[in-house]
Amino acid sequence: MTFDTVLAEQKARLAKGWAELILRTYPKETQKVWTRQRDRFQNPVGAAILEATGDLMNLVIDWKDAKEIAASLDRLIRIRAVQDFSPSQAIGFVFLLKKLIRDEFFKAMEKDGTLADLLRFEARIDNLALMSFDIYTKSRDEVFRLRVEEVKRSQSNLLKRAGMILDVTADQSAD
Amino acid sequence: MSDIPKADELFKSIDYNPPTTGWMETPVDFSPGHWCYPAKPEKIEYMDSKLPGLWGPAREWLPSNDDWKLPPNWKEIVVNGFRERLKKFRTLQVYMDICVRCGACADKCHYFIGSGDPKNMPVLRAELMRSVYRGEFTLAGKILGNLTGSRVMEEDVLKEWFIYFYQCTQCRRCSLYCPYGIDTAEMTMMARELMHLVGLNTNWIMEPVANCNITGNHLGIQPHAFKDIVDFMVDDIEEVTGRKVKAPLNEHGHEILFITPSGDVFADPGIYTFMGYLLLFDYLDLDYTLSTYASEGGNFGSFTNNEVMKKLNAKMYAEAERLGCKWILGGECGHMWRVVHQYMDTMNGENQWSGMTTPKSPITGTVFETSAATKMLHITEFTSDLIKHNKLKLDPSRNDHLRVTFHDSCNPARGMGLLEEPRYVLKHVCNNYFEMPEGTTREQTFCCAGGAGLNTDEIMEIRLRGGLPRGNALRYVQEKHGVNLMACICAIDRATLIPLADYWAPGVGISGVHELVANALVLEEGEVRTMDMRQEPLPGFEDEDDDWTPPNMEDA
Ligand code: SF4
Ligand code: SF4
Repeated sequence: MTFDTVLAEQKARLAKGWAELILRTYPKETQKVWTRQRDRFQNPVGAAILEATGDLMNLVIDWKDAKEIAASLDRLIRIRAVQDFSPSQAIGFVFLLKKLIRDEFFKAMEKDGTLADLLRFEARIDNLALMSFDIYTKSRDEVFRLRVEEVKRSQSNLLKRAGMILDVTADQSAD
Repeated sequence: MSDIPKADELFKSIDYNPPTTGWMETPVDFSPGHWCYPAKPEKIEYMDSKLPGLWGPAREWLPSNDDWKLPPNWKEIVVNGFRERLKKFRTLQVYMDICVRCGACADKCHYFIGSGDPKNMPVLRAELMRSVYRGEFTLAGKILGNLTGSRVMEEDVLKEWFIYFYQCTQCRRCSLYCPYGIDTAEMTMMARELMHLVGLNTNWIMEPVANCNITGNHLGIQPHAFKDIVDFMVDDIEEVTGRKVKAPLNEHGHEILFITPSGDVFADPGIYTFMGYLLLFDYLDLDYTLSTYASEGGNFGSFTNNEVMKKLNAKMYAEAERLGCKWILGGECGHMWRVVHQYMDTMNGENQWSGMTTPKSPITGTVFETSAATKMLHITEFTSDLIKHNKLKLDPSRNDHLRVTFHDSCNPARGMGLLEEPRYVLKHVCNNYFEMPEGTTREQTFCCAGGAGLNTDEIMEIRLRGGLPRGNALRYVQEKHGVNLMACICAIDRATLIPLADYWAPGVGISGVHELVANALVLEEGEVRTMDMRQEPLPGFEDEDDDWTPPNMEDA
C-alpha cells in the first residue's frame, strides 16, 4: 500500500485535524463560536477553513491540478491576508499539515523504514507553502491597489473638473 | 532594517497558540492600519469655534505614539461626561445594567465574523464601556474590582476604546438578536462622544463635519464649483439620452427640496445615480430645487456627538424655509435616513417652517402619511409609488446585460425598515434580479463595514475583513446566478462596496437604484438608447465605437 493510499483512506479525519489546528490560530473565545456555528453565511471563516482543508487534502494526495490547489489556497489566504496576522502567521497554516502528518506517521514509518515516502509527501507541502507565498503577496498587492483606486474614485468628478483627467476617446484623439 | 523581525522572533511568531490571557488583558495593537488618522488640528479649532467645549485640545497626535497628548484632567472629563450622559440618556443607563451576557449577539457582528477578534463581539465591545461603568459607578465594582469584571478609567482603557469603538459601524445588527434589544450602536455613539471631549477623533469624520458646516457638503465645494460639476453631469446625460435636463440649484418657490449625499455628486459611481435623479425629475417635470447649502444629505455629525448631528441636520429645514419648499425629497443615502427617521423630529422638529406639508406626490396624488412628522420622503418610496400608478414608461431590457442583486444598507433596512420599496423598483427596471441568501439580507443584512465614518483607505484591511460576510454572500450569488451588479441605496455603500466586491467577489460592480431606473426610463415613444448612464454600449450596440485600431497594430 502506498503512502498516498494510506492518506487517502484517512483523508477525512486528517482534513478535520488540520482544520482544527488552523482554528487554533484564533483566540479561544473565537474557536468556541466558530466551531459551533455551522452556517457558511454566518460563519464564513469557519466554513472556508473546513472546505479548503477538505479540498486541499484531496488535491495534495492527487497532486495533479495546480490551478485547483491555488484556488483552494486562495480561499483561505485571501481571508488571512486581511486578518491581524503577520505574513508568516498568515501562511503558516500550511506547515500545520506537516506537523499533523509527522505527529501521525513519523514514528511508525521510521520503524518500517518507509520514511522516504513521508519525505516525498512533505515536499508537496513545501510546494504548497511556496504557492501560498505567491498568493499572499498577490492578495496584499490587491489591498494596496484597492486603496489607491478608492482615493481616485472618491473625487473623480472634481479631478475631471480641474482638467486632471483626460477623457480621450477614439474620435477625439489626434491620431 | 529594524522593522524586519529577527530570526528568533520569527520563530516565536510561528507558535500558533493564541494568547492565553483573558480578553481584557490581551494587549491592543496600535501599529498603523489599526486606526484612522486623527483629525487635523485646524478642523478641530474650527469646530471648537462653532460648538465650543466638545472637542478637547486641537493638536497633532498619533495613536502609534505612546503619548496621545491628552489634556491633564482627561480622566475627570471622561468620567464626569459618562456620569452626565447616564443621566441624560436613559437608554445608556439601561444598557449598562441589563445585559445578562447571554452571548446571543456574540457572533452577529461582521467585524467579529471577519476578524475572529473577541473584542469585536458586540457583548465584549460594550463590555469595554460597561467594565468602566461598574468600576467607576457601582459599589460592587468599586469594592470587588476585577472579580466583577470592573476596571477604572485608565489611559490603556481609553486607548482601547479608541481602537474598538472605531471598529463598530453602528450598524445595529447585534441589537436585532439581543433578547433585551440592547443597542450596541448607541453605546458606540456615547463612547465616541466621550472620546471627542478629550480630543480623540478621526480626520475622515472631522474634515467632512467641518466642511459640511462651512459649505454644506463633505468636500467643502463652494456653490459655483458645485454648479459646474452638476452642469457636467447635465452634459453627460445629454450625451446618453439626447435630452438636456434641468438641474435647478438654490431656486426659490419650488414645491420640493431635493437633498441627497454629496458623494453622489463627486464620486464614481454615485454620479450615475445622481444623473438618474436629474433625468427622472426632468421626465416628470417635477417642481423642485437642489440646494448647495444643504447639498450633503449624509450627517457626519452623527458619527461624533449629538450637538453636531443636530446642527448639521437643522440645515435641511433651514434651506426648505429659505427656498420656500413645502416638503423634502431625500435621495439614496444611509445615515441621512437613520438621522431623519430616528432623531430629526426630536432634534429639529420645531424648526420646520409653517409652510411645510406632509409629502404628497404631485404626479400620483399619494399622500405619504408615514412622513408626516419629518416632511421628508425617501426617493424609493416616491419612485415605487410612480411605478405602482403606471406613471413611468420603462424598458427593463435596457438592463439585460446586468444580473442584479440588492444590498440592504444597514441604515435604511434596520434604521427605518425600508425593505420592499427598493426591491419593487429594481424588479421593474431589470429583468434579472436575484436575492442573496436568507440571513444576509433585509433586517439581517451584513454591513458594508465602511459606515459610521470608517470608509477610509488607511484601515482597508479592517474594512475588508469586516466586509467578508457581505462579500461571501455576494460571491455565492455570483457563482450561482452569474450576478454582476450589486445595487444599493446608500452613497457610502456605493464607495465602500467597490473594494469589498473587488476583493471578495471580483467582477461584480456596484450601482445605485436610480442609475438603473435612468437606464430603463423611456423618455418618449420609440426612444432608442445605445449606451447606459456610464456611457458603456448597451447590448446590441457594442460595435459602434469599436472600429478603431491602435495605430501600431494595423498590420498585426
Ligand atoms: S452595531 Fe454593528 S458594528 Fe457595532 S457591534 Fe453591533 S454588529 Fe458590530
Ligand atoms: S444579546 Fe443582549 S443581553 Fe445577550 S450578551 Fe448580547 S447585549 Fe447582552
